[in-house]
Amino acid sequence: MNLIFATILAPLAAAMLILLLRRIPEVFALSGATIGLLASLALLADTSAGVSHEIQLPGLPNLPLSLVATPLTALLSGLVAIIGGLVVVYAIGYMKRDDEKVRFFATMLLFVAAMQTLVLAGDWILLLAAWELIGLASYLLIGFWFQRPGVRSAATRAFLYTRSADLGLYIGVFILIADAGSSNITTTLNTGGGAATAAGLLLLVAAMGKSAQTPLHDWLQRAMAGPTPVSALLHSATLVAAGAILLIRTAPMLPDQVLLVIGIVGGITTLVTGLIALGESDLKRTLAASTSSQYGLMLVAVGAGVPLAALLHLLAHAFIKSSLFLGAGVFQHSRDSTAFSELHGAGRDRPWIFFGFAVAALALTGIPPLSGFFSKDAIIAAALASSYAPLFTTLVLASTLLTGAYMARSLRILWQGNTAHHNITGLAWMGAALACLVILAAILGAAFPAIEAMFSDPLPANNVAMMLGLVAAVVGLTLGWFVPAQHLLGPLRPWSQRSFAIAGGFNTWMVRPALAIARSCERLERALYNRVLALGQLGLSLGQAVRLGDERGIDGLIFSLVRGVTSLGSRARRLQSGLIHRELVITVVVTTLIFATLLISILTF
Amino acid sequence: MLPIVSITVFLPLLGALLIMVLRRPPPGVVHAIGITTSGLTLLGGVLMWLRGVNDSGFAQVEQIDWMPSIGAAYRVGVDGISLPLVLLSALLFFITFIYSAKLRERAPAFVVLMLLLETTAIGTFTALDGILFYVFFEISLVSMYFMIAGWGHEDRQRAALMFFIYTFLGSLPLLLAILGLYLGSDPHTFDMRAWIDNPPLAGAAAMWALVAMLFTFAVKTPVFPLHTWLPAAHVQAPTAGSVILAGVMLKFGTYGLVRFSLQMTPDAFHEAGIVILTFGVIAALYGAFAALAQSDLKRLIAYTSVNHMGYVIVGVAIAGLALDPTVRTIALDGAVLQMVSHGLVTSALFLLVGMLQDRAHTREMDQFGGLLQLTPVLGWSFMLAAFASLGLPGLAHFPAEFQIFLATLQVEPMAVIAILGIVITAGLYLKAISQVFLGEANDRWSDMKDLNRREILALAPLLILIIVVGIAPSWVLDIIHKTTAALQF
Repeated sequence: MNLIFATILAPLAAAMLILLLRRIPEVFALSGATIGLLASLALLADTSAGVSHEIQLPGLPNLPLSLVATPLTALLSGLVAIIGGLVVVYAIGYMKRDDEKVRFFATMLLFVAAMQTLVLAGDWILLLAAWELIGLASYLLIGFWFQRPGVRSAATRAFLYTRSADLGLYIGVFILIADAGSSNITTTLNTGGGAATAAGLLLLVAAMGKSAQTPLHDWLQRAMAGPTPVSALLHSATLVAAGAILLIRTAPMLPDQVLLVIGIVGGITTLVTGLIALGESDLKRTLAASTSSQYGLMLVAVGAGVPLAALLHLLAHAFIKSSLFLGAGVFQHSRDSTAFSELHGAGRDRPWIFFGFAVAALALTGIPPLSGFFSKDAIIAAALASSYAPLFTTLVLASTLLTGAYMARSLRILWQGNTAHHNITGLAWMGAALACLVILAAILGAAFPAIEAMFSDPLPANNVAMMLGLVAAVVGLTLGWFVPAQHLLGPLRPWSQRSFAIAGGFNTWMVRPALAIARSCERLERALYNRVLALGQLGLSLGQAVRLGDERGIDGLIFSLVRGVTSLGSRARRLQSGLIHRELVITVVVTTLIFATLLISILTF
Repeated sequence: MLPIVSITVFLPLLGALLIMVLRRPPPGVVHAIGITTSGLTLLGGVLMWLRGVNDSGFAQVEQIDWMPSIGAAYRVGVDGISLPLVLLSALLFFITFIYSAKLRERAPAFVVLMLLLETTAIGTFTALDGILFYVFFEISLVSMYFMIAGWGHEDRQRAALMFFIYTFLGSLPLLLAILGLYLGSDPHTFDMRAWIDNPPLAGAAAMWALVAMLFTFAVKTPVFPLHTWLPAAHVQAPTAGSVILAGVMLKFGTYGLVRFSLQMTPDAFHEAGIVILTFGVIAALYGAFAALAQSDLKRLIAYTSVNHMGYVIVGVAIAGLALDPTVRTIALDGAVLQMVSHGLVTSALFLLVGMLQDRAHTREMDQFGGLLQLTPVLGWSFMLAAFASLGLPGLAHFPAEFQIFLATLQVEPMAVIAILGIVITAGLYLKAISQVFLGEANDRWSDMKDLNRREILALAPLLILIIVVGIAPSWVLDIIHKTTAALQF
C-alpha cells in the first residue's frame, strides 16, 4: 500500500474501528497512531533520499484531488505523527478515569487523520476540506465535556472564529484556481500580480484565524475547556499550526507587500499575546497565549522572507509546547485545577515532571543547547537580514524577553509553595510520553542542519543575532523570576487581563451585528407574512362581495352551480368546508394584482 | 425493452388505486402497500440510473401520441439534470413511507395522497412534454395542499391555504409561458426537446416568457420575497409532508429554472442573468439571517432551505451569465448537485426534528438541553446532518457549494458575498446544537427514549448518502457532468 495512504488511513481506520466496536479504544488508538507514525517516518526517509510520492484521487470534474510527499510535507507529516502518537500514549493515562474513552480516542484519531491530510494535501480542495475538518474535530474535542458549564460556548466560539476566518481561505483558493486553471498547489504558486496579492492577503486572514493571531486570538485561550491532551495536540503540531503551515507553503508566491503585512500581524501578535501570557492567572491559559505569541514569531519569519526559519520554529515549538501542556496536565491532575493560585508548589510534588516542564520552558525561551535556541536564533537572524530589520528585530527581541518572563513566572509559582502529594492514576503513561517529548524538545536542534539540507535556500547566520537573543532570553527569565508580573506589566495590566479585546472583540464586531440583522429580517418576515395574509383577506372579502352581488343579480342557474361546486368541495374534503371556491376567487383576484404589479414594474424599468 | 421510466412514474399511482379498490383496509396493509410500491419505484429509479444518460440530449425516452393535431404527446425521458432528482425523489418517498408506518389517523387517505404525490413528483422530473409537465406540476400542488390541511399541526388550515394560493397563482404564468413557447415553435409542438434544441422565442417575447416562468419558479423554490408560504407550510405540515416538500417539491422550482428558463429562453436568461443572480444572493443571505433569528427548530430548518436554494439560483444564474463553457459547466454541476444534497440533508433534518417533536411535543430550542447524553443516536445524527447543512467538507453540501462559489467568483466576483451565508448557517446550527443537545441534561426529558429501529431505518440511508456524496461526489457528478458539459446555449 502506498505510504501516503497508510499515513492517513491508519489513524482514520482506527477511529472507525473504535466507533464500530466500542471496545479497547486505547489499543486501537495506539496501533493506529503507531502504524501511521511508521508510514510517515518511511515517507520522510524516502523524500529526504529524493524519492517523492504523489497520489491522484478523483474529485470534482477537472479538479482532481492529490496528496504529495515533498520534503516539506513529509517533515510536517512526521511531526504530526510523532506528537499525535505521544499524546495518545499520554491520554491513555490521563483519561483512565473518564468513561467516554471511545468518543475521546475516536475523535483524537480523526483529528490526526485530518491533520495528516492537511499537511500532505497537494491540491487546494483537499487542503480546504482538511482545514475545515480539523475545525470540526477540534470543536468536538474542545466540547468533549459538553455537560460542564462554559464548555459549549468555548467549542462554539472556536469553530465560529475559525470558520469566519476560513472565508479568506475559500475566496483565496477560488482566486488561485481561477487564475491558474488548476487546483494543484504547486501550479498555483506561480500566480503573480494582483491575484497573488489578493489571494495572499485572504490566505493570511485564514491563517490568522487558525493560528490565533491578533485580533482573532481570543478563542484559543477559551479552548482550554477541553481535556489537556487535546490542548497539547491542538497547540503544537495540529490545529494552530495549520495557519503557519499555509503561509510557509505559499511563501514563494507571496509578493513583498503581503509579506510585510504578514510580518506586522505576526509582530503585533507576538507582543500582545506575550503580554497576555504574562498577566494570566491560569497555567493552561498562559501556555495558550504563549502559543499565539510563538506563532506570531513564525509569521514574522515568513514576513522577513525566510519561511525555513518559521518551519524550524514550528517544529521546535511543537515538541516544546506539547511537553509543557503534558506537564501542566499532570499538575492539573494532582491539584484538580490549573489556576496558578492552586498550583503553588505543585512542581515540588513531582520533581521529575517539573524538571521536564522546566527543560521545555527554557527551550521555549531560547536557552542553548535546547532546540528553541536554534530556531529563535534563525528567526532573529532573518529579522536582522530583512528590509524592515529595525521593526522586525525589535518585535522579535521583545517577544523573546516576554517569553522568558512568563515562563520564569510559571516556574517560580510551580516551585515555590507547599507540597501536597496526591496519587495520580495513569502517571506511568503520562510520564513516559512526557519524557519522550521533552527529550525531543531538548535535542531537536541537532537535527536542524539535516533539515536545512533538505531545502535549497540557506538560512542567514549571524552571531549578533545569537547574542541578542540570548541576552533577551536571560533578561526575560531574570525579570520573570524576581519581579512580580503586575509590576512588569504596569499600566498594561488591565488590558492584558481583557485579552486586549478591542471594544468587546468578537461579540461586538461579529455576533451582535449578525443578530441585529437576523432580528430585522425576522421583523420584515412578519410584516411580509401579514401583508400576504391581508391580501388574502382582501381577496376573501372581495369574493364575498362578488358572491353577494351574484346571488342577488344573477339568476338561479349560476347560483346553483356555485352551490354545486361548494357541496362537491365539501364532500370531497369534509375538512375544507367549502373553502375551495373562496380560494379560487382569491386566486383570481390576487393573480390579477400580482400581474398588475409585475406589469407596472416591467414597464417602468 | 421495458419502459422503465413510465413504470417508475406510474407505479405509485397503481399502488394508490389498489388501496382505493380495497374496502376499508387496515392501516398495516395500507402501509405495507405504500412501502412496497415506493420500494419498487425506487428500484425503478435505480434501474434508470444503471441505464444512464446519453452524451447529449435525453435518454430512455418513451413516447406515445396523445393529441397529434396540436403536437402534444406523452413523452418522458431523462438526462443528467433530471435523473439524480428522480432517484432522490424515489428514495425520499420510500424513506417517508417507512417513517410514517406508525401513522394510524386516516392511514389509507394519507398513503393514497403520498403515492399520488410520488407519481406527480417523478412525473414532473421526467416529463418531456410541456402539457404533461404542467399537469404533473399542478397535481402535486393539490396533493400537498390536502396533506398539510389533513395531517398538519394546529394552524394547518391557514398554512395550507397560504401554500395553495401562492403556488397555484404562481403556476398560472408558467401556463402562459408554455403556451407562448408552443405558439412560437414551428411547427407547433409541445415537445420540450424541440424547445430546448431550437428556442422558439426571441427578443421581447422570450423576455416575457422568461419573466412569467421566473415568477412561477421563484414561488416554488422559493425566492425572497415570495417565500413566506414556506415557513408557514413547514411549521404546520406533518413530518412526512415537510420531508417531501423540502426534499422534492422545492426542486420543482430550480429544476424548472434550469429546464425551462435557462434552456428554452437562453438569450433572455443571459440578459436577465444579473437580476436573477441578485435575487439568488439576496435569498441566500436573507434565508440565513432569518434562520438565525428563529427559536423554533423546524422553522429554522425551513429558512435554511431558502438559503440553500438561493445558492442553487446563484449557480444557475452564473451558468446563464458565463461566457466560458468550462465555468458554465462548473456552475451548473454545482447547482444540480446542490439540489440533490439539499434533498438529502434537509430531509434528514426534518425527520430528526419530527422525531424530536414526537417525543417532546415542542420544538422550541430553549426548552431542551443536554439531549446528547440522553439520546445519543438522535443527537449525533442531528450533528451530522447539521454539519452537512452548514457545508462541512466531506459531507454532501460541500462539493456543490464549492463549485457554485468557484464559478461565481470567475463570473461575478461581487456575488461571492453570498458565501457569508456559510458562516451564518454555521452560527445558527452551532447555536441550535448547543441549546438542544449540549450543556447539562434537563430533568424534564430524563425519560426520553432514543431512536427506535423504524426511525433508524428511515434515517440511516440519508446519513450514509450524505457522507458518500460528500466524500466521493463523482458518482453523481459524472452523470450530471455528462449532460451539463454538452449543453449548448
